[in-house]
Amino acid sequence: MMEFALFLGCTIPARLTQYESSSRAVLEKLGVGLVDIREFNCCGYPLRNIDFKVFLLSSARNLALAEKKNLNMMALCKCCYGSLKKADFLMKENASLKKEVNTTLEKEGLKYEGRIEVKHLLSVLHKDVGIEAIKGKMATAFKGLKIATHYGCHALRPSQVVGFDNPVAPTLFDQLVEVTGAESIEWPMKLECCGAPLWGINDRLSMDLTLKKLNDGKKSGADYVCAACPYCHIQFDKVQKMILSQRNGNHPLPSILYTQLLGLTLGIDRKALGIEMNEIPISGIEELLKKEEELAQEKALAEQKEPKKEKESTKP
Amino acid sequence: MGKHLTMIQLMELDACMHCRTCSSQCSVAVAFEGIPNINILPSEKIASIRALASGKELTPEELRNIQEGVYLCTNCYRCTVVCPAGIDLQKLWFDVREILLQQGFPEYLVLSPLSFYRGLMKEEIAQKNYEEPLTQAREAIAAQCDLMRKKDKVLPLTPTNKKLQSGLNLSVQAKTFSVCFGCQTCTTVCPVVGNYENPQEALGLLPHQIMHAAGLGLRDLAFGSNMLWDCLTCYQCQEQCPQGVHVTDVLYELKNLAVKQVREKTLQPSERK
Repeated sequence: MMEFALFLGCTIPARLTQYESSSRAVLEKLGVGLVDIREFNCCGYPLRNIDFKVFLLSSARNLALAEKKNLNMMALCKCCYGSLKKADFLMKENASLKKEVNTTLEKEGLKYEGRIEVKHLLSVLHKDVGIEAIKGKMATAFKGLKIATHYGCHALRPSQVVGFDNPVAPTLFDQLVEVTGAESIEWPMKLECCGAPLWGINDRLSMDLTLKKLNDGKKSGADYVCAACPYCHIQFDKVQKMILSQRNGNHPLPSILYTQLLGLTLGIDRKALGIEMNEIPISGIEELLKKEEELAQEKALAEQKEPKKEKESTKP
Repeated sequence: MGKHLTMIQLMELDACMHCRTCSSQCSVAVAFEGIPNINILPSEKIASIRALASGKELTPEELRNIQEGVYLCTNCYRCTVVCPAGIDLQKLWFDVREILLQQGFPEYLVLSPLSFYRGLMKEEIAQKNYEEPLTQAREAIAAQCDLMRKKDKVLPLTPTNKKLQSGLNLSVQAKTFSVCFGCQTCTTVCPVVGNYENPQEALGLLPHQIMHAAGLGLRDLAFGSNMLWDCLTCYQCQEQCPQGVHVTDVLYELKNLAVKQVREKTLQPSERK
């Protein structure tokens, strides 16, 4: 069985528990095993502005803990993912930094040799589980749902370090969204930043960027924006709500976590997915799920077509 | 100090048995290996806060260290969840953080994503008190950058500050700024630059100019620009640079250097090593 050390980071357990519960439920359904390492610490991301060495040490300690258990890591947060990837890259590229970090880690019997791989949840779903396997587990699908797929900067860039997907024209996340039957719309600002890195530092700028992006999604016809990162999601959810109340807006573009979107089509209980836990309600999305009668009709239709196809294909 | 905490919080301070369970679970305890401030560790932080709340006279250095300790926290709640005495540590850090930030010592950590949580909690903080520490940290850094204040100052033809260039050595990537040929692609694709009608007025030097300033060793110009602190780290600039300059990584390192140098310059003589 496929198995990963699950890296939750700080934000998800403290402020976005529905992302953890929905991810666990989805991954269990798809047969991905998760190991929890309690000793994991902060990925170092918030400290990079101030102290590079402390950032690297924090990140590398997590890598070392996973390597000790011979497990590849899976991050749910794009900022954790970007940081762990960067640390992994530096530890492989720069021998003197590696030595310095490992000397500190050795104090508690740890070291990092660079033998494991760091992945984001989305790459695990796309590459390790696979689109076809996900299709095989689906209980239902969405109909007439338009999603603005948000990639997240630290998953895509710097591509030399993360190698997540084509940084200019990525398709990985769109494919995962479209598996659910939803349409992943084209929108000009798809690859732009959510604005979260500046929330709390320069709120006015952060608000401008977030609103610009969300308005672009709405203008392009999206019903929901979909993210797979706690920072992006909180920015689109709780912070969007704060912005709208401050700027007297009242037409939000609600944000749904990818694991909630996929979970609904896998037939996972809405409570485990935390459907009611988002700040801007998303329960309306359930009405766009195909009903049992529709699914039965489709199945019957498919069976009618099936024999014809067989005949055609048996022709010489 | 005591009067700004609730009665329950003051009682909680006495309930701490100093068992250090919180520190063993702390998400940022590892930072203590690189930043020798014992107040990073929750068990020690609470001991310092107890001294503070009892009205003990603390030196500016001690106060600054407690402030840094309570700010260097990802607000992950792990300490609070594991505390066997049931102390609401998370709330205590939040309240003490806001009290100390009003005392006027600039806290440079406010310019990091650690502030995301503070932003989410802004409705609990008076608006003036919320903005003040952010402005103060930026101003404290800009105050150390003479050139930014004397815009018409004539520079020597070869102002190269070798120290700045050799200072950008934390990782190999940051050294790439020297191959910048000034095409401005980084500035053109920057969403922050794109947000302003007059970006230079709001941001100071723009990304390509910062690369150029780094190349010339003009420390003040690079450090004093708002652009540095308003960078999203979205990596658009770095991804699209035709010369392979690691623009975002250079900005990261400049931020590190700016904070380090400003801290050193503003320390009391007695605090200097």
